[in-house]
Amino acid sequence: MATTEEIEDLIARSALGDRAAFSRLYDRTSAKLFGIILRVLKDRASAEDALQDAFMKVWRHASRYSANGASPMTWMITIARNTAIDHLRRRKETVDADDAADRLVSSTPTPEQSAVAAGEARRITACLDELEQDRGAAVRGAYLEGRSYADLAESFGVPLNTMRTWLRRSLQRLQECMAR
Amino acid sequence: MTTGPDDIPQDDSLLAAEYVLRLLDPAEDAAFRARLAQEPALAAEVTAWTARLSGLDAGVAEVAPRPAVKTGLERRLFGQPQRLSFWQRAGLWQAVSLASVAVAAFFALQSLQPPQPIAPAPLFVSEIAAEDQSLRLLAVYDGAAGEVRLTRTAGGAAEGRVLQLWAIAPEAAPVSLGVLPQDSTTAVTLPEALRAGLADLVLAVSDEPPGGSPTGAPTGAVLAVGAVSPL
Repeated sequence: MATTEEIEDLIARSALGDRAAFSRLYDRTSAKLFGIILRVLKDRASAEDALQDAFMKVWRHASRYSANGASPMTWMITIARNTAIDHLRRRKETVDADDAADRLVSSTPTPEQSAVAAGEARRITACLDELEQDRGAAVRGAYLEGRSYADLAESFGVPLNTMRTWLRRSLQRLQECMAR
Repeated sequence: MTTGPDDIPQDDSLLAAEYVLRLLDPAEDAAFRARLAQEPALAAEVTAWTARLSGLDAGVAEVAPRPAVKTGLERRLFGQPQRLSFWQRAGLWQAVSLASVAVAAFFALQSLQPPQPIAPAPLFVSEIAAEDQSLRLLAVYDGAAGEVRLTRTAGGAAEGRVLQLWAIAPEAAPVSLGVLPQDSTTAVTLPEALRAGLADLVLAVSDEPPGGSPTGAPTGAVLAVGAVSPL
């Protein structure tokens, strides 16, 4: 597994147009990103297409990375997830395709905030387990599979507004739990 | 008054979470994004939720994509499979861009063969060049004909000497491909035995007495070298 510094370095080189670095970046990260995309898209052919789209965004937006507060892997996974969700929803309905990279904000948190966030990341599994089982499953379904409120409401057999209330309450409890 | 993360109303934090999870409907999503550009505190919420939820990424198994996906990606981004690394490493490449070589290769083929359907045979090129560019040849391997076609673009043999072309396979002695004529273009047949390992060959040109090396190995200075690379 590549180190954070290595991935950061490869992204920085890609931003300068270094194709060899981009090739190495792909080799180091594509299996993880493909796994993330497959969770959303299930179908291998669409997932391959989305993986290419995601890496095209990584190449084109590499220069924006340093301004972003996320870790390099989180930055790339966010692009992959959003690209996969764009593909999923384009397939289902006709929603305007967002540029996944546009969804990445360029806030620069203080090191302290970043450290807190990193510590919290490790706690999410434990905190999700504190929720009722189906509530935790709904949060996971939204994050890992890109499921919408309508989609979740249908599979949990509840009205859409109920699902939204559920999920928002779950997110609030999650946040409280992770801040403890 | 400055707005720190602590002053964020709870609702905005949840809205940020929904945004990260892609749960907002298109209108809400657009409204949120418009605010995001104006409100750094909101952007910090998005970053925080992104980091919080990223803990779930660890549970996702890695799945290696097929190699063809990478080839396709590079073709989509760069217009052709990534084959440049050799040239970048070889450091021979400052003088001639790949584009000009491709063009030169095209014309080298055009000038040597009558128009005919281009066979889908493998095409390999090599730039055989002296370090100071005082001698430079472009070699194109035509798989259909089994020939290496050469175009000399700079330099030539010294007075009373000839240029001899060699093919060198990894860990093997140089094999003579013949003495180059005075003409700037020529074609030599590549021995059958060398064709399979073509991509690993190095081509070299040495300075030899008239008639070529008397020993079967290069006797004079090696003036120019170039590795073979798929076009």
